[in-house]
Amino acid sequence: MITLAAPGPRLRAALPMLVLAGLMAALGLAVPGFASPATLLLVLADTATLFVLAAGLSFVIVIGSIDLGVTATASLAGVVTALLLPGWGGWAFPVALAAGLLAGTVTGLVHVGLRVPSFIASLAAGGVVGGLTLWLSDAQAVTIGQTDRPWLDWVAGETAGLPHIIVVAAGALLLGWGLQRLTPLGRFGLAIGASEPATVASGVRVARYKVLAFALSGLFAALAGIMLAARLTSGSPTGASELLLPSIAAVIVGGTAITGGTGGVARTAVGALTVSVARLGMTFLGVDAFAQQILFGVVLIAAVAITTDRASVVVTK
Amino acid sequence: MTTTAGKGRASARLWTSVPWRALAPVVVLAALCIALGLAADNFATAGNFARIATSAAVPAVLATGVTLVILMGGIDLSVEGAMAVAAVVAALVLVAAPGALGAVAAAFAALAAGAALGAVSGAIHVGLRAPSFMVTLGTWFIGLGLAVWLVGGGTVSVRDSELRVLALVRLGGLPLSVWVALGTVLIAWVLQSRTRLGRALFAVGGGEDLAAQSGVPVGRVKVAAFALAGLCYGLGAVLAVAQLGQGNAEIGTGRLFAAVSAAVVGGTSLLGGHGGVLHSLVGVLVVVVLSNGMILLGVPPYLQQAVQGLLIIIAVAVSLDRRGQGLVK
Repeated sequence: MITLAAPGPRLRAALPMLVLAGLMAALGLAVPGFASPATLLLVLADTATLFVLAAGLSFVIVIGSIDLGVTATASLAGVVTALLLPGWGGWAFPVALAAGLLAGTVTGLVHVGLRVPSFIASLAAGGVVGGLTLWLSDAQAVTIGQTDRPWLDWVAGETAGLPHIIVVAAGALLLGWGLQRLTPLGRFGLAIGASEPATVASGVRVARYKVLAFALSGLFAALAGIMLAARLTSGSPTGASELLLPSIAAVIVGGTAITGGTGGVARTAVGALTVSVARLGMTFLGVDAFAQQILFGVVLIAAVAITTDRASVVVTK
Repeated sequence: MTTTAGKGRASARLWTSVPWRALAPVVVLAALCIALGLAADNFATAGNFARIATSAAVPAVLATGVTLVILMGGIDLSVEGAMAVAAVVAALVLVAAPGALGAVAAAFAALAAGAALGAVSGAIHVGLRAPSFMVTLGTWFIGLGLAVWLVGGGTVSVRDSELRVLALVRLGGLPLSVWVALGTVLIAWVLQSRTRLGRALFAVGGGEDLAAQSGVPVGRVKVAAFALAGLCYGLGAVLAVAQLGQGNAEIGTGRLFAAVSAAVVGGTSLLGGHGGVLHSLVGVLVVVVLSNGMILLGVPPYLQQAVQGLLIIIAVAVSLDRRGQGLVK
């Protein structure tokens, strides 16, 4: 069996930051002009959607579960937004968010209520959501017409050179961070991830918090879907599907262990930035998009291996 | 079970001794066929049954592979990635070496590519002790990336190759691919129930730590299961290439879903240790008959995916024996 040199707990906590700083420094040296404020804003804007998707996912990964349906939910929200904007105007956004919240809640209920393992519950629920989305959109991207585009200004516009999408992502970060730091959900979420039996024994209503984590995952995914649709000015029924791997990678690379119990939304922000800076760097180096996918697969596996504290896991399934 | 029935009440004992839980998928399949036979005029025809068998060939081979992994308590999400690599490799070999010999070489190359990717998944899972769904999620995309990279994003047409005999030549009214799939299920069944590896798979699925203490080489068994599963995906890719007359990276799209639903609908427990490849064959038929019926009844094609998703949830919820289970992650 291969034993990786296990980094100490403090180094392990600081590692994601160091990796991000190292990547930024390397890119800054290799690419003239990378360190300019304009480029950095561009990086932030490009990271925003991925971050919001991954932020929701971190709630679920912290409790030791996984949500493979987030990208389907995001696509659903994008399609709902694009379909409803012409008739309903701004009401399209709350409806899309509610659809995401519903999808997440149902996934959580299937997982907790029927006791179906989360990866299969979310895979199946994602299949249902994906099927509904294809049906709603007739399997085609729904274009958002010129007249409805002002509605997208809160995401796609910019004020004094600051893209609004960064502000939206910052709001999501603040919301997620607040939920994890200031509410019982945060504390109990970490406790559930660290040891579910102990949390149950302490009298915490574990089931409720688990469903809540999935509901939040759905809500954030829907926001990410709206952001994606706004940037592309169309809602694609499969538009978000290629974000699944990067979003899981963002959570794990940020330092949240796949087994749960550590990490959170703030760490995921670092992870998402790392993923998008790495992607940018590869593009500069001329690595093509397909090879990037291979690399992401490798990075994901490596990050899972490094962040898992294997001393505490007896059997790996 | 039989002890709960009253003494002397033979009929009651007979009733309770029937393994209903294990037979449920067969009952579901029969009910489905009867219902569709009544609802759609053109369901119960020889032509339609041949169509069902033909479209069940690839899912059956894939589900057989997934089942071997699920039996030992793991999961393999890399179906589509492994198929993509294998299909592209097969197509490239076919282009480089036309003729019958080329077709054989292409089939073997595809099998080898699938098995290699599976072995890599297994080795990473065992070596790094990373959860199998995570590792295979990674290898899924590694496989897709490799496939796209190999063909530069396009499609390799092999319309005239000898490999297509698998789809075009019929034996007993059914394409050769159906017989290949049946043969695969049979071989896997022998492997599962008559060999040491098969027993080890059940042992690992039933309780890994116990199996390890009883001297089962758990690591090797796991790698072997993933490699065999990869071999099945490679074969699935060969059949798909023969059917479609082309190889590309998207050849596996949507296949994971059908394979996993077939396995769980058939009654193979996701916790490992229960079920088998014959269960999955029933599961495949349920899934394929259902989508065939939905087409005949004019259900919008995109809703079929949604129905399959629901099917997975129901099947897992019904079949999981949760009594001895502390927590579900």
